[in-house]
Amino acid sequence: MGPESTLSILVVDDNPLNVKLLETTLVKEGYSIHKAYNGPDARKIAADKKPDLILLDIQMPGESGFDVIKTLKNMAITASIPVIFLTGVSEIDAKLEGFELGAVDYITKPFHPLEVSARARLHLKLSIATNSLIRSQAEKLQQISDAQSAMLTTPDKYPDAKFGVHYLSLHEAGGDFYEVLPISDGIYGYFVADFSGHDLSTSYLTSSVKGLLKQNCSPIYQPLESIKMINDVLVEILPSGKYLTASYARLNRKTKQMKIICAGHPPVCYVPVVGEPRILEMDGDVIGIFKNVLFGQQTLTVNPGDRFYMYTDGLIESSDKKIVWSEGAGLMLAACTAAKGIPLADAPLHITRLLQPDSAALEDDIVIMAIEI
Amino acid sequence: MDLKALGENLGLEEDEFIEIVEIFLDTAYADVQKLEDAYVSKDVQAASEAAHSLKGSAGNLGFMDIANLAAKLETEARKKIISSIQEAIPLFNTLLGLIKDKI
Repeated sequence: MGPESTLSILVVDDNPLNVKLLETTLVKEGYSIHKAYNGPDARKIAADKKPDLILLDIQMPGESGFDVIKTLKNMAITASIPVIFLTGVSEIDAKLEGFELGAVDYITKPFHPLEVSARARLHLKLSIATNSLIRSQAEKLQQISDAQSAMLTTPDKYPDAKFGVHYLSLHEAGGDFYEVLPISDGIYGYFVADFSGHDLSTSYLTSSVKGLLKQNCSPIYQPLESIKMINDVLVEILPSGKYLTASYARLNRKTKQMKIICAGHPPVCYVPVVGEPRILEMDGDVIGIFKNVLFGQQTLTVNPGDRFYMYTDGLIESSDKKIVWSEGAGLMLAACTAAKGIPLADAPLHITRLLQPDSAALEDDIVIMAIEI
Repeated sequence: MDLKALGENLGLEEDEFIEIVEIFLDTAYADVQKLEDAYVSKDVQAASEAAHSLKGSAGNLGFMDIANLAAKLETEARKKIISSIQEAIPLFNTLLGLIKDKI
């Protein structure tokens, strides 16, 4: 069983091959799957498990897909679950009847698994937006208060996320913060950010951002969409002149894909097991100022043992030595490369000491997070 | 026939695809048996259903020779013609055998 945010899909088809094909594809995308090979089982599982979406074959021996959807739409407990039909190319009447009975979409057979997963994502989004507006608003308030009581996520809370962190706040209401988000089984989000200014409102806003992260970083949103949605809310609620720079990384350990979003933040350092360490240089607007924003995005295929380092500018900027982070990133990469043999948990502190041997000389907050594949 | 390429086309790793092909072979051989039974008992409805099932699963995985042949049988069976089944059976078995040899 994955984290509680995992979305579930019921796949119904009398052909075990289709069920297996859909299961393999959808599990990789982070969904949990329930399976049924006939109508009566489908109805029973839908009522018991209340999946977030149902993929339903029409042509099944005995009880057809039409019979199943009629029953589901007549039961309060299953009526709002979106249903996508699987149907043959030539069955125009069947498609129309499917819509008539309350299906949200159809997919023609033979289907391409990646098309199914794209449509599933679309309809889950629509369903969440339309059916759960009130519930999600209530949850949002709850999430914000939850976030306030648990400010810092430590590596022992999510051992599968495999990260190490060094966090130092010089000000009572620190401007820097980080978050690690369990998105689904094998999928984690990593967020490192820096608020402009150090006034008291910053710490209050930090809790709001953590609440927004929890709400918007889910398997159905691409990382870029998540950060854009958070930006759109912050544009509305941040005091004038206040903004946020951030790096957001989403790692899918099953597909070995790392997606990184840059929002006006110092670049992530990538230290692969094989190959040259490098700075993932990207342009990107800051969060919370503009409604129409462009964020930097990169997707990397990663290998076990590779490391990523996300950090805030306190470690590499110095007004004393007149170093700005464009130059400082080179120093950071050298320090991250030097930490290659150091255990993950100790690497962030090791790098801090390499870059700033005299901790009393620190001028700003520090966050440095190491992520290992 | 390149199983790795067919799998990649579906967004699947080679080992995931092979597992799916094994299920395909089970259902496909069962469908071919149903076709044969339908031919013997002159049951056009059963022939059409078995051909439909074979067409769908072969088409989904990209085994187009099998899918096209099954589609032809399905169309004919709907017109109550099942004479082609007799010569199609050994052809299906050969094509399925080629896939079986690859995994």
